[in-house]
Amino acid sequence: MSAGSDQPMIRSLLSLLLFAVIPTAALAKPPKNTTATETKNLTWSHDIAPILYGHCTTCHHPGGAGPFSLLTYADAKRRASQIVEVTQSHFMPPWLPEPGYGDFADNRRLSNGDVAKLKQWFQAGMPQGDLSEAPTAPAYDAKWQLGKPDLVLKQGEPFTLPAGGTDVFRNFVFPYPLKTSHYIRAMEIRPGAPQVVHHANILIDRMESFREQHPDEWRAGVPGMEILLDSGNTFDPDSHFLFWKPDTPAIIEPQGMPWRLDPGNDLILNTHLKPSGKSETIDSEIGLYFTDIPPDKQPMLLQLDADDKLDIPAGDNHFVVEDSLRLPVDVEVLGIYPHAHYLGKDMQGWAILPDGRKEWLIWIRDWDIDRQSVYRYKQPLELPRGTVLHMKYLYDNSASNPRNPHDPPIRVREGNRSEDEMAHMWLQVLLVHTKPGDPDPRLQLEEAWMRDRLTRTPNDRVSLYNLGAALAGQGKYKEAAAIYEQDSKLHPNDARVLTAFGAALDGEGNWQQARALLQQAASATEASRAQHCDAAFDLADLDARRSQANAEQEFREELASCPDDAEGHASLGSLLLAGGQTQEAESELQRSLAINANNLDAQLALADAQLSAGDATHAMRLLQTAIQAHPSSADAHTQLARAYGISGDLNNAETELNRAAVLKPDDASIHSALSQVMAQNGNLDGAITEQQQALKLFAQDADGWNNLGVLEARKGDSASARKDFERALAIQPDHAQARANLAHLAAQ
Amino acid sequence: MRLRSYLLGLCCALSASALMASVQPVAFDLDGKPVNDLAAPGAHVVVLVFAAIDCPISNRYIPTIEHLRTEWKSKGVRVWWVFPNPNDTASTVKKHDEEFSMATPVLLDTHQNLVHLAHAGVTPEAAVFSVHNGQLHEIYHGRIDNRYRAFGVERPQPTTHELADAIEAALTEHAAPKPEANPVGCAIVPLGEK
Repeated sequence: MSAGSDQPMIRSLLSLLLFAVIPTAALAKPPKNTTATETKNLTWSHDIAPILYGHCTTCHHPGGAGPFSLLTYADAKRRASQIVEVTQSHFMPPWLPEPGYGDFADNRRLSNGDVAKLKQWFQAGMPQGDLSEAPTAPAYDAKWQLGKPDLVLKQGEPFTLPAGGTDVFRNFVFPYPLKTSHYIRAMEIRPGAPQVVHHANILIDRMESFREQHPDEWRAGVPGMEILLDSGNTFDPDSHFLFWKPDTPAIIEPQGMPWRLDPGNDLILNTHLKPSGKSETIDSEIGLYFTDIPPDKQPMLLQLDADDKLDIPAGDNHFVVEDSLRLPVDVEVLGIYPHAHYLGKDMQGWAILPDGRKEWLIWIRDWDIDRQSVYRYKQPLELPRGTVLHMKYLYDNSASNPRNPHDPPIRVREGNRSEDEMAHMWLQVLLVHTKPGDPDPRLQLEEAWMRDRLTRTPNDRVSLYNLGAALAGQGKYKEAAAIYEQDSKLHPNDARVLTAFGAALDGEGNWQQARALLQQAASATEASRAQHCDAAFDLADLDARRSQANAEQEFREELASCPDDAEGHASLGSLLLAGGQTQEAESELQRSLAINANNLDAQLALADAQLSAGDATHAMRLLQTAIQAHPSSADAHTQLARAYGISGDLNNAETELNRAAVLKPDDASIHSALSQVMAQNGNLDGAITEQQQALKLFAQDADGWNNLGVLEARKGDSASARKDFERALAIQPDHAQARANLAHLAAQ
Repeated sequence: MRLRSYLLGLCCALSASALMASVQPVAFDLDGKPVNDLAAPGAHVVVLVFAAIDCPISNRYIPTIEHLRTEWKSKGVRVWWVFPNPNDTASTVKKHDEEFSMATPVLLDTHQNLVHLAHAGVTPEAAVFSVHNGQLHEIYHGRIDNRYRAFGVERPQPTTHELADAIEAALTEHAAPKPEANPVGCAIVPLGEK
């Protein structure tokens, strides 16, 4: 068709223009033909402002993440046609889960009633109504929504986001600068340019591993949609969804569930940035709010995934993957975070309970990575042991999927780049019905999870390593060693695996082979600094426990190459203390505490040195600080009881020992010490009960039987006392005190 | 071509009210000066791109349009940003242009004459006119490309480029292909609804 054939010429267009001067923009003009009964009472003041204030203005306010404000009547009237369009389609407010499939807190989906009201108001000509009826507009002017943070972390270097192009995924590192650990009850993120930061995940890097992977780039941020962090060789699983989106800048943790930051930790801000048309400066700040109250609940993040099944043919619009996992423990599910990239379409998550009931976790019918979120349940979902969790995701790799990053479509597999795919369903679970003193039940869950992953990908190194760690954590050293052996055959020179293998063999009692492996790990040339430090520390520690003379030199060598290793300084200090080198020991322990003021080993050893020197005051102060950071350390409570005992405060000594006994109910020495203190406090019955408990746990304790005999004799029960002394002598015939006590009884 | 002369030529046959309307300038530049001549001498094609300072989709297209203007400039393509919304005044648009480093000339469509000329309903939306013997012929109006299919349905990058194709068609005197879908963006605010 040539120009001018059936295209209107400018002349006729201009005629239209001339006649159109008065009635303008008919497209956006609301129709006037609605009935009075439908709309007569709907006004902005009475009906519309409450909807907008409740669902829209957290983003749509001046300076907010939304592109325009909806705070005033004029704002709403001006945007009315667009408001109707985006609410009718449920594009706004952003909310992906299908109603009725999971009952979520902060559900942002607008009710059908509210959607209808907005449309009716628009059709009625958008009346303002009586302004006195309008609710007070929310205020959004505070710099930090929760007030001044206890600590503000700043981005290393500002990043300039280009004006245009595709979305940018970038990771910024925020080192935690303090020398003491803190519990975090809330966090607020100020991204610098709220309108371009679509969402962000915060990850905790306990090992500075991301910085080590990107030594030259991390200050200005590192590109990438997904990142892999080294979680170290201590079982400390991710536990919290630290997910930020524009309408929830402050992430407040539930009561009893703060998370922890230790010296040397990094926060990684994993951002999704959407170019706005102009270049923008991303210079984020993270505000942290501390609490002194340690957690009394330990959640864990659990993942179902089907990445290994992702091999999506080009053009396939119905590619389905599934995964399931049987729970070995009782849990409560607190939240869910489904995740795929651009080809994800339909996502279902559900649980089949042992009684056969089906409980929906979530259903998203039209996945959109741009609007991904963490969803927290209104009430925790209780799922008993034996429940099977399921996920089923559908992918559309056809040209008709508008979000398809490939044109024409190509075969797509799993991967970290945005054009690859993923199939993840993360759950935040709380392990329930556990008893104090039981092994950490998260280890059982970790074990089940990793075993499940290995059934699908038997050589997956992350699963092998984590399974080994979960087994070792439960004291199943033999099984752990077998797993690490398999892992080390697959990755023969991996220092991390060699170290873990060595530690498992050490736990099993095979110290010779353990030592050889640790030596190999410590001298592995391809090891990262952190891996070398771990191996060298474990080697020195093994020798120290075997009272080998070379342990001291090994710690010194380890610290020469790893001078910031607080644990290394603490161990060397403890070793020197045991050898009577008090002055140098104290200096090493202080060095450890200067690196990490919460290093428990250093705190306990230094307090021990102080108590031995008769300085109960300083020891007490140090142990109280230690308990603040490590409330579940029975050793710290026991030591504090000792300090109270030395200072003559037997009531507090008894309180601390009671706390220690709750934390470590199977430790005979605690019950025994408690018995002694109770006796001194005049509680003979309690003292007898505790001593009996101690002897139940360790029946071969001659001193214990003697002590029980003394208590029972004091109570007037000579018969029982006699049996106890005899029992002590049966175990240890030369027990002089028991013999003397028995003689004393006979003489009565 | 000189748009004003056509307006005057046409007005003579119209009513008094139309005559009054016809003497209005088509649009204004950011200094408040009337602009009636959309095609500079030597221009073969005129492109209008409707925009709004607070429309995120419209703003996201700024780099695309700026790039397109540079690319086609030497071929006689005259590109204009057109801001039709009542709240987008000269001072707010000027500030916005500076923030977004916009080098393409801007028109304030104070009376929304150009909205009607191009049948525009949303921002961003484009119209392409070929210039022949001083006359403008509409070749195309609609979306810039297919990046957005609906609110919340967005391609990582566009796979069809309707505006660029329409300009090419105008330059080669071919018909522009019709877009498969309407433009996605923010409704142009009617006059009187600030």
